[in-house]
Amino acid sequence: MADRKAELERKKARLEQMRRERQEKVRQKASPAEGGDDTKSKPQKDLRSETDDLLRNLGIPEASTVQTVVTKSPSGGEEVVHTVKTSSRSKVKLSLCKVNETSIAPREQVSYSKETQTLNAEPVDKDGSRRRPSILVYDDPQRSDDEADTDSMDQGVDSLPSGMPQVKMVDPAKTAEDLVKKEEPPVVRELTEEEKELILNDPEFNTFISKTSRIMERALAENYDILIDYSGGDGENKEDDLLAGERLKLNRTFYDERWSRHRTVTSLDWSIQHPELLVASYNVNEDAPHDPDGIALIWNNKFKKTTPEYVFHCQSALMSTCFAKFHPNLVVGGTYSGQIVLWDNRVNKRTPIQRTPLSAAAHTHPVYCVNVVGTQNAHNLISVSTDGKMCSWSLDMLSQPQDSMELQHKQSKAVAVTSFCFLSGDVNNFVVGAEDCTVYTACRHGSKAGINEAFDGHQGPITAIDAHSVPGQIDFSPYFLTSSFDWTIKLWSIKDQKYIHSFEDNSDYVYGVEWSPIHPALFASVDGNGRLDLWHLNNETEVPTASTVIDGNVALNTCRWHQSGHHISVGDDMGKIHIYDVGEHLANPKSGEWSKFVHTIQELKQHAAEREDDSNLALR
Amino acid sequence: MSEVEETLKRIQSHRGVQGTIVVNSEGIPIRTTLDNSTTVQYAGLIHQLAQKARSTVRELDPQNDLTFLRIRSKKNEIMCAPGNEYILLVIQTPDAS
Repeated sequence: MADRKAELERKKARLEQMRRERQEKVRQKASPAEGGDDTKSKPQKDLRSETDDLLRNLGIPEASTVQTVVTKSPSGGEEVVHTVKTSSRSKVKLSLCKVNETSIAPREQVSYSKETQTLNAEPVDKDGSRRRPSILVYDDPQRSDDEADTDSMDQGVDSLPSGMPQVKMVDPAKTAEDLVKKEEPPVVRELTEEEKELILNDPEFNTFISKTSRIMERALAENYDILIDYSGGDGENKEDDLLAGERLKLNRTFYDERWSRHRTVTSLDWSIQHPELLVASYNVNEDAPHDPDGIALIWNNKFKKTTPEYVFHCQSALMSTCFAKFHPNLVVGGTYSGQIVLWDNRVNKRTPIQRTPLSAAAHTHPVYCVNVVGTQNAHNLISVSTDGKMCSWSLDMLSQPQDSMELQHKQSKAVAVTSFCFLSGDVNNFVVGAEDCTVYTACRHGSKAGINEAFDGHQGPITAIDAHSVPGQIDFSPYFLTSSFDWTIKLWSIKDQKYIHSFEDNSDYVYGVEWSPIHPALFASVDGNGRLDLWHLNNETEVPTASTVIDGNVALNTCRWHQSGHHISVGDDMGKIHIYDVGEHLANPKSGEWSKFVHTIQELKQHAAEREDDSNLALR
Repeated sequence: MSEVEETLKRIQSHRGVQGTIVVNSEGIPIRTTLDNSTTVQYAGLIHQLAQKARSTVRELDPQNDLTFLRIRSKKNEIMCAPGNEYILLVIQTPDAS
């Protein structure tokens, strides 16, 4: 260090000497070319070159001065030449000195013509000081570096002639990297196939797979449901989610190209002796005038065959049909002409074996209702036509009715019966629905034979009527349902003149309604929109609990529960019969359903009473 | 067939398994049995969640580490076994038997 200082001092002395000599020469020279500025810059430039050499000898690396030395302005070059010449003339002591050549790679100058802006807050340097503010404007590197050099050598920033923004401590290359790094997280690279192969063959990957797959297989094998709730309290919601689709599921469709095409299904009935047999009656096919007008088909639900078991014809369109309950081989049909026909499947004939006469003694109007009532030994076929005539027949002899009765309301008005139903377990009392929107109760025999009471409430002709018939501890037989063209279904009791409740969820004529044979609070309804609804009155009385729409834009004309209560058959106006499975949790009644239904009915009655009070108040 | 393939196939054929995905440390799926869009979705989301879970475990106890992550939802169960560099994901539907 000491000799260095000594050397520096020696060099300083020499500099002084040289300076003095040059000044002398300037005075001596009478050269007009250079101005005042150049005199200043000349010694400066000389100084610079000299000091550069000196510094180089000392071994101090230059800070980006090499280039500047190369890229000197031409005027400066001239001056150097001059100064060199002058220096050689002045007999300066020149001594050979070791020149340590150090090659320094030029620092990369990355010049930007745009502004760069960092995404985050100002990054902190290593020494803790904040970096330059966000916007850095890079200018012409030559000039800025030149100024920077001279300034760093001699004075401070103040002597800058141009006043350009200084870029001193920023490392341009680094910012580029930063930007790239910040872009990476949002971009998800896709691995190429080769990369994937590489990884797959990596032994580390193999060990990872073998270890974790062991754990995973153990975890997979455990299949306990930690969320199981034994109290069943959550069962309701779970059912809704999981079994919503299974409440009503289409099982199969019965359709025969030859016979059921373009015919509306008018009625359905399941056989009691053979629960898989279903009889369906069909209306006339307008497109085929030569085909018989009335068709009855017996379908088999047990087997997969798509053709009916039996095909029965008759000359007039069939409006209703039923199995003769106590004769497994007989099928009864009521026609449009008023005839009642009887088929027997033991006989190999498609036409009826027995027919009622078309006379005034029997019916002359369409027969929409046929039913076999009674017991095994004492039963009758009851039929009601739309002229209000009710006849009872013996199945052995259809040539004349055993008993016939005119159903008249108030002595003169004949009732146009569209549907009827016997009350549960009763062979005498029944209810009928008529075209004049009224429901009537009636008796067959006894002192009150004929129409007894009239129930008003519907605003359209009644399409179907069904009485409650579920056996149980609590008897709900006074209650019956009616459906009508006025888009509603109403629940009545034969003891009250006013209906208990009106179900108004449909938006088309409701064509059929029927109680479930096993569940006291469940009933099904079909309407003209192709909708099949299941109403669970203990659950919800305003909307159906399950509902499905048949595809194909058809109207459903009739529905019939299977006696098991788990299937329901619906017939549409294109000749198709759809069998639906009802989910077990919905179809099977729980033990508390009966008492719950009592409460439901009481509630509904209360609402009805309130409604009536309100309407009475309004009238006043 | 390589062992890796065999193992993954065995896992996939397990009862109720919907899909198997192997993800690397960056969240990029390496091997999958599901379709591309689902895989990318699962890989990105579960990877982030596993990272978060791991950092949580580590923060609570620096000497602890995440070994297994199991997410049980209404419809299925996602099991995630993280390794040092990779993560094995299996999506299973639990059968309510």
